[in-house]
Amino acid sequence: MMAVLDNFLLSYGNLVNLCLLNIFLAYGVWLALSVNMFTLGTGGFMALGAYSSVFLTMHGGWPFSVAVLVGGLLAALAALAIATPVLRLRGDYFMLATFAFTEVVRIIALNWDSVTGGAVGIVGIPQLTQTWQLAVLAAGALYFAYAVRGSYLGRAIAAIREDDVMSQAMGINVLGYRLSLFVSSAFVGGIAGAMAAHLNFFIGPSDFGLLRSIDALSYPILGGFDALLGPLVGAILTTILPELLRFSNQWREILMGLLVIGVVLFLPGGAMSLLSFKWRSRHRQSKLVLPDSVEQGAER
Amino acid sequence: MAALFQQIVNGLSIGSIYAVFAIGCTLIFGVLNIINLAQGAFLMVGACIGLEVALAGFPVPVALFAAILSGGILGALSEVLMFQPLRKRGGHRWMGLVASLALARVLVGTAQEVFGTQVRGYPPNAITGLTWEIAGVRIQAIQVLIIVAAVLLMLLLAFTLKRTSIGRAIRTVAFSETVAQIVGVHVGRTNLITFFIAGALAGAAGLLFGMLFNVVSPFMGDSALVKGLTVIILGGLGNIPGAVAGGFLLGLIEVFSAGYVSSSFRDAIGFGLIFLILLVKPTGLFSGFEERRA
Repeated sequence: MMAVLDNFLLSYGNLVNLCLLNIFLAYGVWLALSVNMFTLGTGGFMALGAYSSVFLTMHGGWPFSVAVLVGGLLAALAALAIATPVLRLRGDYFMLATFAFTEVVRIIALNWDSVTGGAVGIVGIPQLTQTWQLAVLAAGALYFAYAVRGSYLGRAIAAIREDDVMSQAMGINVLGYRLSLFVSSAFVGGIAGAMAAHLNFFIGPSDFGLLRSIDALSYPILGGFDALLGPLVGAILTTILPELLRFSNQWREILMGLLVIGVVLFLPGGAMSLLSFKWRSRHRQSKLVLPDSVEQGAER
Repeated sequence: MAALFQQIVNGLSIGSIYAVFAIGCTLIFGVLNIINLAQGAFLMVGACIGLEVALAGFPVPVALFAAILSGGILGALSEVLMFQPLRKRGGHRWMGLVASLALARVLVGTAQEVFGTQVRGYPPNAITGLTWEIAGVRIQAIQVLIIVAAVLLMLLLAFTLKRTSIGRAIRTVAFSETVAQIVGVHVGRTNLITFFIAGALAGAAGLLFGMLFNVVSPFMGDSALVKGLTVIILGGLGNIPGAVAGGFLLGLIEVFSAGYVSSSFRDAIGFGLIFLILLVKPTGLFSGFEERRA
């Protein structure tokens, strides 16, 4: 009887950890999305953070916190390195460039056997990530998103999202904001990757591919990226629902897919638009229509 | 020298499949300015249904027809049930990406439920076993068959686009939806036909993929999607001749880098190339031929 209870708590605790981690990640992606950067680089940045921190804790014997920080910084550095060329691209071209980055990282992880373990991955990672650490990170991300909304930074971000050419003309340093948001998003991704690696027993190259990036993007988009709590709601929903649909592996995929399609079709503002519909329609009418002009000029 | 020709034959046979698949992806982008991430799943369904038909004892052309039809119907359904409502509601374009990926998940899950999760192959028959040896170059009959089928499909598409009223309508909508409406083109129907053609090409590519590698599984769509995206970047988004050239180019690059550099970094070279092209010439290698993105 006790064993059953323990098992239940064990799997339940794991779900909580996963939710907190995904909330943190969701706000990281939201940073990039908030200025129209549809980044598929999250998987690559997570892989950088995960592999480097695991290498440091397992082979270097570094303290966990330092290793995680280094993982995040490495991801931020990689973002900085690719930023100059990549940030020149807009819309779908930006998306495809970040996608190529993620794939290159994945393929390197697949082949650099001495550090990454190749296709087999790394097994036996010490489980150093604690629930409270994840909770602090998630709360910090949430607080940051909250603090940004009322600040000059938040206004600038909103302006850039509406029309970046106009924002530039008004004296907002568009490139500077895009760069810092891209790098911060990568930093969050790197930290999340490092935490995820020390949460599970195992990491492999397929953990951080295209699907991981898209999953991360879908949290704020499904939750509603206009709303403060949107990324949080999206992350929790997309983490918990698959667990509820556990009765069949294939049916879980089918139902999750249908659910996502349903949300996208019937709640274009994300799941949060259900809750905040009245509030939104009074105050934020203009936000519902996102400009296509930014994407139209996808060629730069 | 024989090794070189061998690589070229191998590269062309795989490249022709990439080209067929990528034309579909790039066509949708050209006409509707969206990227349909469910194309890989359409390819997988085409491969699975084609295999079922072939296993039932029908000849290869019938299986190919079945794959084309199933892919096309799926493509058209995705437009009717998902993309069109999404456009009507004025959803953000990200929604289309997320929704198309969700559709891919649904299709992969359904395929697992219907066809099982195991990897299957074609039964050995006269075609798959037959090879010719010309001056040290081993040419499999299946490679020739694939290249011929792919080229025929591409010619058929070129004819449709250039010479028929449907093709003219598609090209007009690709040029500008407003102009198309002004000159009396039925935009909704044209979009539907575009999705049908793109899905059909994906289905055909799926069958050819399955035959070339003799591997059919519900999970084959993901890697194919990645290849398709690579090709359309190489060729330029929306550029159909670019997709054809990019498909053959990627096939040759993969085979040569596997043969002369390292097979494990074969894919990395492809992606490094994408990255480079996006940085230097984001409109694709062949954008000089067209004054604007279709």
